[in-house]
Amino acid sequence: MAGLADEVIVLRLTALRRPSAQRIVVPLLVLASGLMIILGKIDQVLFESLRVSVTDAAEPLLDVLSRPVSSIENLGDRIKDMANTYQDNLRLQAENRRLLLWQRTALTLASENAQLRELLKLTPEGSASFVTARVIANSGGAYVRNLLMNAGSQDGVARGQAAITGDGLVGRIYEVGTRSARLLLITDLNSRVPVVVEPSRQRAILAGDNSDRPCLLYLDPAAALKSGDRVVTSGEGGIFPPGLPVGVVDADVRGPPRIDTYVRLSQLEYVRIVDYGLAGELPNPVTAGSSTIRRAAPITAVKSNRY
Amino acid sequence: MPLGRQTASAAPVDSIAARMTPTVTTILAALLALQPVRLAGYAALPPSILLMAVYHWTIYRPDLLPVLALFAIGVAYDLLSGRPIGATPLLLLLLRAAVLRCRPWFINRSFLFVWSGFALFTVVAIAGSWALLSALAVQFVGLDGSVFGAALTISLFPVLSFLLGRVQRVMIGLG
Repeated sequence: MAGLADEVIVLRLTALRRPSAQRIVVPLLVLASGLMIILGKIDQVLFESLRVSVTDAAEPLLDVLSRPVSSIENLGDRIKDMANTYQDNLRLQAENRRLLLWQRTALTLASENAQLRELLKLTPEGSASFVTARVIANSGGAYVRNLLMNAGSQDGVARGQAAITGDGLVGRIYEVGTRSARLLLITDLNSRVPVVVEPSRQRAILAGDNSDRPCLLYLDPAAALKSGDRVVTSGEGGIFPPGLPVGVVDADVRGPPRIDTYVRLSQLEYVRIVDYGLAGELPNPVTAGSSTIRRAAPITAVKSNRY
Repeated sequence: MPLGRQTASAAPVDSIAARMTPTVTTILAALLALQPVRLAGYAALPPSILLMAVYHWTIYRPDLLPVLALFAIGVAYDLLSGRPIGATPLLLLLLRAAVLRCRPWFINRSFLFVWSGFALFTVVAIAGSWALLSALAVQFVGLDGSVFGAALTISLFPVLSFLLGRVQRVMIGLG
């Protein structure tokens, strides 16, 4: 019992011994934090170079740390895969038969498309080059939806480039360091992507709100959307090329229709960062735009209030 | 697991390794929080590992987690995670100040009491962050992510606190 009493006294003494300097330091630091929030809000460029250099410096560490995490996950996946081999095999065989049919259709359409383009003398879209990068940090949550990638300007990544996977659109690059880049997901609060709802060619803006399912804004009120309608990028604004698959509509919700994205954004490991030759249309707060502007973009429907 | 009993330990420690333990583990917690975990739904409601570590050390060894280190960790976390810079250090410093003020009540209490305290602080901290973020974004951000995140943070606290308690025992001793 005496021991406990001693400990209580020790605690109180430490509390008393708290140097008076600390009493000034804590409010000062709180004040500094508050000031940083306000300054960062007023001037978005202020901390951007600091952010890029700190991220670049931390890239090797984050890259190394993210590997064991992903290997553990991969091990789990592998065990699950082995257990499901038989079912998977049956499913894949069926899928393969179906895809072969589609392939034939696609080849026919591709040649027909080429002929029609030839007839119309359509200006070809710029050819795309890409870099595949690994996700090394993911700061999810209700605050921001972005991913840190392990490729930067030295790998040819530039601001405004589109990030995709085999399934569809992921987002775009908005911060680039020498060896790291930050990717704004289409679910982020600041993401606005011009899209088209396919069967009706209805145009809309896909707006993220930090939830898993972004919503469609500025739709024609008369538009009758059905759940399951396919949504692709419209190419307006010149950030993304037209026709990148985004997701399917879920119209059975309160408020604006939501989109179930094709890409499982929370489970990304590798992302393809594509240069469609369109980058540079973004309002660029840090450096002068890249030199790859190929066509004028009348509308830039990307909300630029923070990034 | 009488973690609550360690509350009152505040004996001076000499070894540099022991002195650095809270700071280093808090840095590790921040790095862990940045890891891309590819579980379905995880990105929508990540637990705030940083909050858990800061609460643990402020309760058990506040003398070994200097405010300046806390501030630096917060700023670095904001820079790396892409959050508004200043939001995390503000949250951590206010949490520390509030927990320090309430600390005498935690002495010699059961772990359940410490955990309940954490639940209370987490709810306030996450509600505050949500309000700050909504104000910065000039719109109401969906609450569900914050609510689930808070629930996960509170339910995972015993695990992290147990691990940190083990580290504390090995590196610092009971005080």
